[in-house]
Amino acid sequence: MPVFTDRRSPTTQAPPPFRRVDDKRGTWGMAFFVATEAALFIAMFFAYYYTDKSNAQWRTEIPSKLHYALPMLAVLLTSSAVLYWGEQQVKKQRYGAARIALIGTILLGLGFLVLTYFEDMEHLQHLTPRTDAYGSIFYAITSLHGAHVLFGLLMLSWVLVMPRCEPALYTPHRPYHNVAIYWHFVDTVWIFIVALLYVAPNLYNYS
Amino acid sequence: MSTAVEQRLFALWETPKTLKGHLSTVDHKEIGKRYIATAMIFLFVGGIEALIMRLQLARPDQAILAPETYNQIFTMHGMTMIFWYASPILSGFGVYLVPLMIGSRDMAFPRFNAFTYWTYVLSGVLLYISPFMGQSPHGGWFAYVPYTNVPYSPGWGMDFYNTSLILLTISTTGGAINFIVTILRLRAPGMAVSKMPLFLYSTLTVSFVTVFSLPSLTAANIFLELDRRWATHFFDVAHGGNVVLWQHLFWFFGHPWVYIIFLPATGMISMIVPVFSRRPIVGYAYVAIATVLTGLVGFGVWVHHMFAIGEGHMGMSFFSAASMTISIFTIVQVFAWLATVWKGRPVLTTAMHFAIGFIALIVVGGLSGVVTAVIPVDWQMTDTYFVVSHIHYVLVGANMMPVFAAFYYWTPKMTGRMLDETLGKISFWIMFVGFNLAFFPMHLLGVLGMPRRIYTYKPGLGWDSINMLITVGAFILAFGILLSLINFFWSLRHGHLAGKNPWNADTLEWSTESPPAPYGSVHIPTVVTRHPLWDEHEEEEDPSDERVLDQDRLTLSSTWLDAETLALARMPEDTILPLLLALGFFILFIALTFQWMWVALGTVIYSFAIAAVWFWPKPEEGELA
Repeated sequence: MPVFTDRRSPTTQAPPPFRRVDDKRGTWGMAFFVATEAALFIAMFFAYYYTDKSNAQWRTEIPSKLHYALPMLAVLLTSSAVLYWGEQQVKKQRYGAARIALIGTILLGLGFLVLTYFEDMEHLQHLTPRTDAYGSIFYAITSLHGAHVLFGLLMLSWVLVMPRCEPALYTPHRPYHNVAIYWHFVDTVWIFIVALLYVAPNLYNYS
Repeated sequence: MSTAVEQRLFALWETPKTLKGHLSTVDHKEIGKRYIATAMIFLFVGGIEALIMRLQLARPDQAILAPETYNQIFTMHGMTMIFWYASPILSGFGVYLVPLMIGSRDMAFPRFNAFTYWTYVLSGVLLYISPFMGQSPHGGWFAYVPYTNVPYSPGWGMDFYNTSLILLTISTTGGAINFIVTILRLRAPGMAVSKMPLFLYSTLTVSFVTVFSLPSLTAANIFLELDRRWATHFFDVAHGGNVVLWQHLFWFFGHPWVYIIFLPATGMISMIVPVFSRRPIVGYAYVAIATVLTGLVGFGVWVHHMFAIGEGHMGMSFFSAASMTISIFTIVQVFAWLATVWKGRPVLTTAMHFAIGFIALIVVGGLSGVVTAVIPVDWQMTDTYFVVSHIHYVLVGANMMPVFAAFYYWTPKMTGRMLDETLGKISFWIMFVGFNLAFFPMHLLGVLGMPRRIYTYKPGLGWDSINMLITVGAFILAFGILLSLINFFWSLRHGHLAGKNPWNADTLEWSTESPPAPYGSVHIPTVVTRHPLWDEHEEEEDPSDERVLDQDRLTLSSTWLDAETLALARMPEDTILPLLLALGFFILFIALTFQWMWVALGTVIYSFAIAAVWFWPKPEEGELA
């Protein structure tokens, strides 16, 4: 824990009673931001299943291809693992290793976006957001997630170019950790997207 | 306490009274006052819209307003009052009072606090660009599809609806996160959850509700805007879309929103009634639990807005039962207030008048709510003036009355001057009479079959005299509000000086000067009971000056349950970045309204750049290793 060092002027009387600096407010803020983002995705999943329920024609949709979605899942899960390792390095005060982990995460995130591009190119051949409501909701959810990946990459790059990424007495107190929370969240959302939008339709197509 | 310490604190916390100072302040007291003033302006604008509508409806076959204009005005009235007045005014009191009540020097994220205020103002500005184009939203405040989709609403009105609401949602959600972290982490040492003032319970509850319910509205707005301008098919039945989806998404947000508007107001009443009954509130724990449960169960009642669309029997019965259950929690609070007055020695100040007036109105509004939760009655009453009456008893009765109680109660703290009690009481009685004259007959009008949202009606349907009565009542209500406004400006100059604690109240905000110094209190207070200023404990007792914290902009952070002191929380300096970021968002959402996508891209890049600067480590920290 960082120790508080005060700039005492000769006239200042007392030392503060606690010499630790609170560096968790930003983490809490990020946690609740992630919570509200999760609620946004839940609303979107609800829209998907609600429209599906009232709509027999969805059963005839060509099930979403898994040959891109699963490798993309692997890429994102790997990136989360790498970033988690990076967080451990920050805790051990090995900041060089932490930055390398950050670069690895960013590269994997970019890889995910490249795969997204190829997936969309293939998928758009027979389904666009303007085809029907299924296309609208499918692309709304995946694009929203893609935007989150992009935003996450921007934040990760920002931590990468910062002069320091270690916990500090001044804001931002724990930039590495807080951005990592967001990145893990984005990865988790992709797990749900793969399960609900890619795997589940394939399952009930065969049953 | 030496003045040298006060001077040091002043130098650390004071915002210079220059233009730059005003634009870059992060002082929660300044921002809270701005929230309140801005919301009041929206109240007056929405009120004027209501009066214009009542002129149109005063007599049959009036032609003051064209049908389309009428549609735009009732929609703007609803949006202004529900989104830009009712919730922000409570946020305003919260932003001002919460840090003082918990003995903190500021909110958890002061710069973010400024940002949410600026986005709130600018989202209102965005909405009010639309009347100047003659194309306001016109689909009612809940904007049901397919009417609000492009084929039936081709103008820009509903685009303004979507973009301004998404921008407001960003502001409201940000504010809610700020409240949660503030209340959970910055409470004064000793203020355990069992000792929190009830206003904090209600603010905390609605902040959680906000975090989890508003995204549903955002999703609905995104879908509608995509449908309108990007040719998708979310709500297009011909292409497999579903119009009821809008209603589910909207009301999953919409009903919790009713409690977001209502609960902090009850929290204010739970502060005011005990003070003027001269005793602690009866059933503190039950009121606190009822508040939390209202927020929780509020997520399970949204379908009662949709009984008329024909859902399954099981589902409807469930939502009907849940809607009746939730009234129990309100009734727990009502009886707690009544018992407090009963067991205490009530002092009938103006604030107490408004508080008791509120209790009367919420009982009427709650009862008509229980009535409409009964499905057969709802089928009969839906889309009639009965519902209009209900919503106004609940929203005006249970929001505006407590807000005016709070206004009379806390204004002396904010301005340092007492409001005039006599004028205040006259204002209350005129408002109370005008309110009931305007809205009680609407019950009858609904039973007589007058549908809501019609711009005029034929004579001889038995609605004529009642409508005239309602219009007269509306003007009386407006006059009452005007008196309170006059009272405020008069008291700014001529009111008696308030002193620290004019009401002999029990909570920490009354231990500061009126108006409070920029840093709040010199010593961060400690708390041992629920009523810090009524007990024997000396809050600012601090012989070795450990809790002055005049080394830097500091306050104490504590554990979230027991409020044991944890660490020093460093507070940021004033900065203009929140305003710059909010302006970026504002232009982004203007661009999204009109699909200027290159402008949108530019503002996204701009906003990210501003945010990157915002969170960039400060260079001077190097000397502090």
